[in-house]
Amino acid sequence: MASEMASATVKLFYREAIARAVREEMMRDPRVILIGQDVAAMGGSYKEFVGLFEQFGASRVRNTPVAEASMIGLGVGAAAAGMRPLVSITYMDFLMLGLDPLVNYGAKLRYKSGGQLSAPVVVKTTAGAKGQGVAHSQCIESWLMNVPGLKIVAPATPADAYGLLKSALREDGPVLYVDHKRLFPGAGEVPCVEDLIPIGKSILRRHGRDITIVAHSYMVRVAEAAADRLAAEGISCEIIDLRSLAPLDLAAICESVARTSALLTLEEGQIPCGVGGEIAFRVQEELGPVRVARVGALPVPVSSNPVLEAACIPDAERVCQAVRQILSASRNPVRNVSQ
Amino acid sequence: MDTLAILRSMLLIRAFEDALIKRPDHGFQLLSSGQEAVAVGVCAALHDGDQLLSSGRSIGPALARGLDPGIVMAELLGKAAGPCGGKAGRGHLAQPSAGFFGAHAVVAGNLTIAAGVALAMQLQGPSHIVACLFGDGACGAGALHETLNIAALWKLPLLLVCDNNQYSVSTRRSEALAPARLSDLAMPFGIPSATVDGMDVTAVYDAALAFAQRARSGEGPAFLECVSYRFASHSTATRETRSAAELKAARELCPIRRFAAQLEEQGGLTAGIRETLERDVDGQITEAMRFADSAAYPLASEALVDGV
Amino acid sequence: MNYKLIVPGPIEDVEEVRVLEWHGTPGRTFAAGELIVELETHKAIVEVRAAKQGVLRRILCEAGGWRKIGEPLALLSDDPASPLPESADGLAAMLVEFEVT
Repeated sequence: MASEMASATVKLFYREAIARAVREEMMRDPRVILIGQDVAAMGGSYKEFVGLFEQFGASRVRNTPVAEASMIGLGVGAAAAGMRPLVSITYMDFLMLGLDPLVNYGAKLRYKSGGQLSAPVVVKTTAGAKGQGVAHSQCIESWLMNVPGLKIVAPATPADAYGLLKSALREDGPVLYVDHKRLFPGAGEVPCVEDLIPIGKSILRRHGRDITIVAHSYMVRVAEAAADRLAAEGISCEIIDLRSLAPLDLAAICESVARTSALLTLEEGQIPCGVGGEIAFRVQEELGPVRVARVGALPVPVSSNPVLEAACIPDAERVCQAVRQILSASRNPVRNVSQ
Repeated sequence: MDTLAILRSMLLIRAFEDALIKRPDHGFQLLSSGQEAVAVGVCAALHDGDQLLSSGRSIGPALARGLDPGIVMAELLGKAAGPCGGKAGRGHLAQPSAGFFGAHAVVAGNLTIAAGVALAMQLQGPSHIVACLFGDGACGAGALHETLNIAALWKLPLLLVCDNNQYSVSTRRSEALAPARLSDLAMPFGIPSATVDGMDVTAVYDAALAFAQRARSGEGPAFLECVSYRFASHSTATRETRSAAELKAARELCPIRRFAAQLEEQGGLTAGIRETLERDVDGQITEAMRFADSAAYPLASEALVDGV
Repeated sequence: MNYKLIVPGPIEDVEEVRVLEWHGTPGRTFAAGELIVELETHKAIVEVRAAKQGVLRRILCEAGGWRKIGEPLALLSDDPASPLPESADGLAAMLVEFEVT
């Protein structure tokens, strides 16, 4: 009976998994507060906070003006002074406006104070291209992966949104939690009993023999669609869903690539200095030369124009082409697959 | 108002900085000399449990808040005995257990943080407040506008203190900021404000006390502008841009000289008491230097601690 | 004639829906314009109304259940007593109007 309960799940919309995680953490810990634009009565731009204002009230669930620098500063400062704020930044593009308090203060606080203070704040934001234009489409997580003192997580499923957000709200320092616009229409099984997903641990989404595809967030679904197509061609893809970008689960990636001998990194952000470059180098530091390529957005702004957006963002077919190319390449590293 | 304690506090800051600057290894410092009355007057209005944040001009504020001069000097010199283990230096000096939440070296970078600390205080219940010191240089930043707005909306227990020494490095206030009276910046937000003579510690204290009590009783934030004058250049790495005549005139406004004269006139300060205070302060500074000089540097391996 | 009531579409940006509430039990006749069932998408409620009169005969997906666009939710008939097939396969889709709120 116990094991049945432990594995029991309920199917939830992605947004419901988020609301459930936040509600549970707010019930568990009175220090958790939620601030952001439209998070109170409206329940969030994606309805991801529905019910929280009614349950916890205006003191703990607060609407803010459109002022990302102070939204994040408020969260970081309140965290340093003993609260556990969740700051909702509706678009990842506007995280840029709050990088000073997040990076110069929040991420450096434990270090600069010699351990006297730290800032357990979660900055939750939504990335990704979905027809909203050059300044409402960006995936900039790679910009922040090398900030010492900042953890970054990016779920790809409702279960992981639930488990990672709960873990993030229990961390002792700042965490950037990144959703993706295209994950919200989806639904998935979420554990009935509380389940925390550890930060820094990836998950294997699919076993394969011929190549390791490493992706995060919405691109995991693109990887799965590509893997389905490639399976029909006799190519067996292993898919690792990173879940965490900082810290990265290098051990799991290396264990996989040691078996497949080929690595494809997939991200929606632009290629230069992206997630893939870091992974590709570190895997080869560990394993020696392997066939490796990166797939990501074209190195241009992503317009709202549907034709141009589709041309920029990786899709299943681009991933398939890259996999075929890397597996038939006669030299390593594979050239000109970055696209 | 404990007048002798206030005088002593200003004397301590001046003597500390005089001793610091004589050292060949004084490091990159922003000095508070000339501006002692602002930090001391504000701190005299704070209680235990309140928190003070400051800009990178942190020596005066830290000492005014009551931090031990020995550990402050240790931190400035990069010794492990500093409250931040030597990792902050002057720019990020902090001892929250003593009510000094800390300095932050980014101009205007501490304002939204201070609002956050005030929010936490408001939610945690007891009637503590946050005071945040910043210069005229921070008043052009969007962060101030955002902080004023949210502090007013949420009635945060936040006392914003602009220590207006009238220059942002080499730029006069009139070149950098449209309002001549910086406390006017609070008006559009309905936040009570005042401009006082920052070289007059009594004026600073009286205004800070009234605003602090107001914030303490839940009535919300206030903006206190203290017009002051720094005696040294902006920093030890910045050359002086003011004329000798201007500097000479500024020295006439010394807040210590002024307050001492006031106290003497009122009969609260005799030559004997003054001598005792100064000897006391000198002894404390000598001990602080000795302590800091004999303290060890952190090990290089400390660079990796608390970084992630 | 028997009909299948399917999840109407296309609805922009919607992959699957959850049945929120049936507004009647088997045997109930719905007049044209009456609300048969409410469906929940990730961001809205879809009200499914009869476009012509029909009798609800069998609910295939109870409240709380999930369906994709085009999948069958229930069987309806013109005649309350007509024999029903085992499944919805091969049945015509019931004419409905739907509104996303």
